[in-house]
Amino acid sequence: MTTPLTLTAGRRPDGTAQLTAVGEIDMSNAEVLADSLRGTSGRIVLDLTRVQYLDSAALNVLFQHADRLEILAGALLAPVLSISGIADLATVRTSP
Amino acid sequence: MTPPDDAAPGASPVSEVFAADAEVGRHLAAVDWAATPLGPPEEWPQSLRTAVSILLSSKFSMWMAWGPELTFFCNDAYRRDTLGQKYPWALGRPAREVWAEIWDDIGPRIATVLTTGRATWDQALRLFLRRSGYVEETYHTFSYSPLHDDAGLVVGMLCVVSEETERVIGERRMATLRDLGSDPSVVRTEQEMLDFAGAQLGLNPHDLPFTLTYLFEDGAGARLAAATGVPAGHPLAVPSPSADRDAPWPVDEPARGESVLVPLDGARYPDPPSGAWAEPPTHALALPLLRQGGAPYGFMVAGLNRYRPLDEGYRSFLELVAGHVAAGISGARSYRAQQRRAEELAELDHAKTTFFSNVSHEFRTPLALIMGPVEELTSRLAAADPELREDLDVIHRNGLRLGKLVNTLLDFSRIEAGRMEARYEPVDLAAVTAELASVFRSAVERAGLRFEVDCPPLPEPVYVDRGLWEKVVLNLLSNALKFTFEGSVAVTVRSGDGEAVVTVEDTGIGVAAEEMPRLFERFHRIENARSRSHEGSGIGLALVKELVTLHGGGIDATSAEGAGTRFTVRLPFGSAHLPADAVVPATGSDAPSGTADPYVREALRWLPGDGASAGPGAVTPAGDPDVGARTASPDDAAWVLVADDNADMREYLTRLLRGAGYRVDTVQDGRQALDAVRRHAPDLVVSDVMMPGLDGLALVGALRADPRTASVPVLLLSARAGQEASIEGLRAGADDYLVKPFAAAELLARVRAAIELARLRGHHARWRAALVDSLQEAFFVCDEDGTVIEINRAFTDILGYGPEGLPYEAVEPWWPDAGSASGAQAQATAAFHRLVAETRGTQTLPVRHRDGHQLWISAAFSRVRDPDTGRTVVVGTFRDVTAEHYAVQRDSALAALSTRLSGATGLADALHGALDELKKLWQARRVLAAVFGQGGDGGAATLVSTEKSLTWQELAPEERAALTALRQRPLLTPIAVGSGAGTLLEHPDGPLALWVDPGESRPFTGDDQLLLSLLAGHLAQGLARAQQIDQQRETAIALQRAILGPSRLPNGFAVAYEPATPPLEVGGDWYDTVALPDGRIGIIVGDCVGRGLEAATVMGQLRSACRALLLQDGGPAQVLLALDRFAVGVPGALCTTVFCGVLDPTTGELRYSSAGHPPGVLAGPDGTVTLLEDGRSLPLAVRPGTPRPEGTCTIPPRATLLLYTDGLVERRRRPLSVGIDLAGAALVAARDVVFGDLAAHVMDRMAPEDGYDDDVALLLYRHPAPLEVSFPAESSRLAVVREALRDWLGRCDLPPRTVQNVLVAAGEACANAIEHGHREAPGAPVTLRAEAFADTLRLSVSDTGRWKTPRPELNPHRGRGVHLMRALMQDVTITPGPVGTTVDMHTRIV
Repeated sequence: MTTPLTLTAGRRPDGTAQLTAVGEIDMSNAEVLADSLRGTSGRIVLDLTRVQYLDSAALNVLFQHADRLEILAGALLAPVLSISGIADLATVRTSP
Repeated sequence: MTPPDDAAPGASPVSEVFAADAEVGRHLAAVDWAATPLGPPEEWPQSLRTAVSILLSSKFSMWMAWGPELTFFCNDAYRRDTLGQKYPWALGRPAREVWAEIWDDIGPRIATVLTTGRATWDQALRLFLRRSGYVEETYHTFSYSPLHDDAGLVVGMLCVVSEETERVIGERRMATLRDLGSDPSVVRTEQEMLDFAGAQLGLNPHDLPFTLTYLFEDGAGARLAAATGVPAGHPLAVPSPSADRDAPWPVDEPARGESVLVPLDGARYPDPPSGAWAEPPTHALALPLLRQGGAPYGFMVAGLNRYRPLDEGYRSFLELVAGHVAAGISGARSYRAQQRRAEELAELDHAKTTFFSNVSHEFRTPLALIMGPVEELTSRLAAADPELREDLDVIHRNGLRLGKLVNTLLDFSRIEAGRMEARYEPVDLAAVTAELASVFRSAVERAGLRFEVDCPPLPEPVYVDRGLWEKVVLNLLSNALKFTFEGSVAVTVRSGDGEAVVTVEDTGIGVAAEEMPRLFERFHRIENARSRSHEGSGIGLALVKELVTLHGGGIDATSAEGAGTRFTVRLPFGSAHLPADAVVPATGSDAPSGTADPYVREALRWLPGDGASAGPGAVTPAGDPDVGARTASPDDAAWVLVADDNADMREYLTRLLRGAGYRVDTVQDGRQALDAVRRHAPDLVVSDVMMPGLDGLALVGALRADPRTASVPVLLLSARAGQEASIEGLRAGADDYLVKPFAAAELLARVRAAIELARLRGHHARWRAALVDSLQEAFFVCDEDGTVIEINRAFTDILGYGPEGLPYEAVEPWWPDAGSASGAQAQATAAFHRLVAETRGTQTLPVRHRDGHQLWISAAFSRVRDPDTGRTVVVGTFRDVTAEHYAVQRDSALAALSTRLSGATGLADALHGALDELKKLWQARRVLAAVFGQGGDGGAATLVSTEKSLTWQELAPEERAALTALRQRPLLTPIAVGSGAGTLLEHPDGPLALWVDPGESRPFTGDDQLLLSLLAGHLAQGLARAQQIDQQRETAIALQRAILGPSRLPNGFAVAYEPATPPLEVGGDWYDTVALPDGRIGIIVGDCVGRGLEAATVMGQLRSACRALLLQDGGPAQVLLALDRFAVGVPGALCTTVFCGVLDPTTGELRYSSAGHPPGVLAGPDGTVTLLEDGRSLPLAVRPGTPRPEGTCTIPPRATLLLYTDGLVERRRRPLSVGIDLAGAALVAARDVVFGDLAAHVMDRMAPEDGYDDDVALLLYRHPAPLEVSFPAESSRLAVVREALRDWLGRCDLPPRTVQNVLVAAGEACANAIEHGHREAPGAPVTLRAEAFADTLRLSVSDTGRWKTPRPELNPHRGRGVHLMRALMQDVTITPGPVGTTVDMHTRIV
């Protein structure tokens, strides 16, 4: 069983690119996320509110695109995002 | 019987029926079912299919039979445990055919099940199976229960079985070994030992159908010493097998220590006895009876149980039996040898001392009767023929020599008996020695030798007994002169290091080197040595050595053959080394006594031109009235004692009175006269009135005041004339009075008159005195105050106090004082009070001889009225019962030691107990036992002492040296050094040096030493037995552990079993866990009544039954209800308490029922303690059939459950509830203890100070069970592992945020392990462990790879992972090691 992850690309009402992830992201599938991010240029909203698990391999990917990312996350991921320091580089919005 | 082909698995569509077990299923599928009454599997009814799949999926050993022919099925466990070679042939066969050999046993049981529909139960039923190619004795516990078809009819049966062959046979053998060791007596002869062992072996005719014990004889083959199971005269019981081919039993191999298996076939083995079996044994085993460090004692032939293989267990059982018999023989033989040796030593010692003492005394009496008359003759024949005088001189000289020899022998026997009465006074040793040497000067010089005496004064005095020191010096000088023919003899005195050093050196013939060691040995004479004389007894130097030793000094000799010999005597300065009561003030005389004369005279006789007449010193000794002036007169002549300070007057009176036929002694003053009279009353005292010291009038007064001397007549002589003076004399009590000068005739007339009058008057008194003196028993008379006023000779012999000391006022000096052995003084005081208060009586009491040694006397006394004075006196007699007393003491000491040893629970206990007994016996300061290991490196020993904490290193160096020196001595030979004594004996761990230190005030006598050696022999025997007890105990514990509990516990469980402290017995407590097919876990903790093998047996049966019942899918209450019925039929199972529970490890739900068992204890993560008090009912078998209640509880996450037996909490004088509360507190306190250590931790915390006195079984469960996941190091496995961890964390009741933190941290650690740990070996295993405590969570991730030192600048990504771990967890430790890296993390639960 590999780590379950579904990525859906789309546009926000304001035309900004949006990538919605559902599942878990770890070293086994972080490259899938990286591919999707590389496939999109310009600012991008990454919706992680339905991601249950995120490890340092995934964070590594986020750091590479930090300057153009706006990250939406649930309370579950908030500590990891803040501890890793990504919140200082990218825009991170957490919902309760 | 052709086994079915190994058909390909899955070939048939019906195989799903058999899918539950691949291996057995494959073979079942291959059976040609169409040929059986059951038909092909696809046509089987559902009930059969279900039964088969239950059967195959069970891990418990089962078989079943179905249909009209009872077609046979079994599962894998049954195949492995029971079926043996019959698999797979048996599958699908009629059961009757499969188990043809036991059908008579099981057929009726199966019929019962089929006809009644009720289950059967058999416990440890013996069945003879043929499953391994031979008929085998086996035991099975099994239950047959009915199987129903779809219509509900009974069409088959299911058997759940556990094989108990090993247990039953193991217990049977264990019982024999235990019986062999149960011999209650400590000491027995070889034959008694063999008879006892035979009786025990005969009780097990199953494993030992017959036994024959042969012992090797010295050079004459072997003889039959014992037999069991064989009638006398049986052809196999050959009395003495020889080494030839025809003998039925091998002799050579056992003699070499080898076992031989003997097939019992052929004509040489007619009709072997069959023991408990119908058929005779087919083989016998001949085992050597091994002797430690020697050839075997013999061998044992054991007929073998033909129904059991001779496997390792059987063989080691037989070896243990043989070993036990061999140990018994060893014990019996060594005891016999030790006993004989001790007896011989005692006899020899006693005979020797008695002989010396008797011979010496017997010589002295005739000698005195020779010397007295010779001296008399010499003086009477002063003017006689010179030849006659020479003859007299010869007699006189030789008499002196004989006297000297006898005195030396007597000195020896006194020293031997410890009765040498030395009086040590301070002397100027240089002056005394020089003076003694000077006596020899003329003799040495006349021999043509130089005599060099160099004795400068010493800085301080030396304490010597003058008489004994003279003997030392004179013997050495006499020896030097005897063996020196030219050159010199030299005497020097010097001051050494705290001692005086006296040397006597000669330039004589010397002593050969090989003779030196025996130089000081008694009666040893060097053969063929050139000497001035061949006279000599060979005891001179031996006596010298004894005397020097008595003075606390030492002597040694150096010699070169042909060059001379030098003796060096060393005496310590001061008196600290001498007995305090033997030290007396200086007397001030340096003059040699008469002792020297015989030595010099003897020496002079060796020289050419006999010069006896020129010898120094007068022939007539002076000063002792007993021997001195007494001259030869007829024995019945009256004896007159003359006391006068004027020598001329003494001589005149003596001449006058002797001329008239009287025996005469003279003394110089009143004091001497009084002493002489008290020693021996004369017929008349003739005394001057005017004398220095005690004058004549005072002498009369003193004599009259003493009842013993009151009747001695006294004639006073005085220069004072006049009526008044004579009246004064007569008033004082004198019998007559004569004024000087007097006419000789008048004196003689008055003397004759006084004597005759006194004789007439005193006849009766003398007769009485003679009678009393001739008594063999000691005799005494006391006045009303207890003052002793009269004694006899035997009294003096026994106590050393003579009549000269009379009267002895109470408390007399022979009573023991406070310094004596405790109790002696109290006994004596009580005796004294009876003496004064009672009319008559008899008693045994301790007294002290004048020389200080203790005696035991048996005294009888009686109160009488003195007819003369009207006063009341006590008259008594006593005899010396010391020897009898010690014999009784010895017997009771042996008995006490035996009792102590037989009650000992092991080797250490036996030794401690024995030391205590020895200490008590001698009221010793302490008793030491040093065990030297077998290594024999002479180094440290293991010390056991009556002072418990004392170690070998803490002993004084000289004590260690004394103990070490004992190792060089022969076994059981007592050695006395200083005030203590010791001996060497055998301890199972090596030689044991035993030391008794009796303390300051009490000497260790020869009797004590003998007793010590006897007791030591006894102790060695007892220790050997105690070691056997130790070994048996170890075996018992091993057995208990083997019966107990599963070796693999389900995850999350911990158990402990603690036997009771020694004297340890196997107990009846047990715990058990049963993994149920649905994933739940059955838990049992139980406690059978009683102890010992019986309780263990009951426990084993209940445990098996309980397991089987749990597996049959019963709830706890049902299990206990069924167990009730089972327990009714098991003797000893009544009142067993059991806690039975079924736990769901995923939810923590526990259903339980308790049969009178103490409640389980549940410690929550918050520190609350809950007792599982529901579901309680009566202990087992008390009310069988009564439904049992059930309780339920859910074990909260991170809580710990404790189940136990009452030994954990029950203490004397304490309510049980207190103990249970303490157990709860212990559990709460241990909330953070790693689970693996928890059981030991709780046991330790609850242990009473001196250990558990009941056995304890303990079972612990912490919920949830720790998680352990192993996975290959591949990133694709991360999600699975995360899911398992998430699930486990969910059961731990944690805040969601903590869960997420732990998940990420663990995930990072796993990712690291995959990425770094296994860069070179992808797929190698990684292990994640997690354990929840009350308020912490611990995780570890370990791999088998090696991490690189983190260098975040090269790999920011991984650095981020470690950073995350540290940020999310409280503590992270990364431990790289040679075989892998481990990350430990923990976090607090808030």
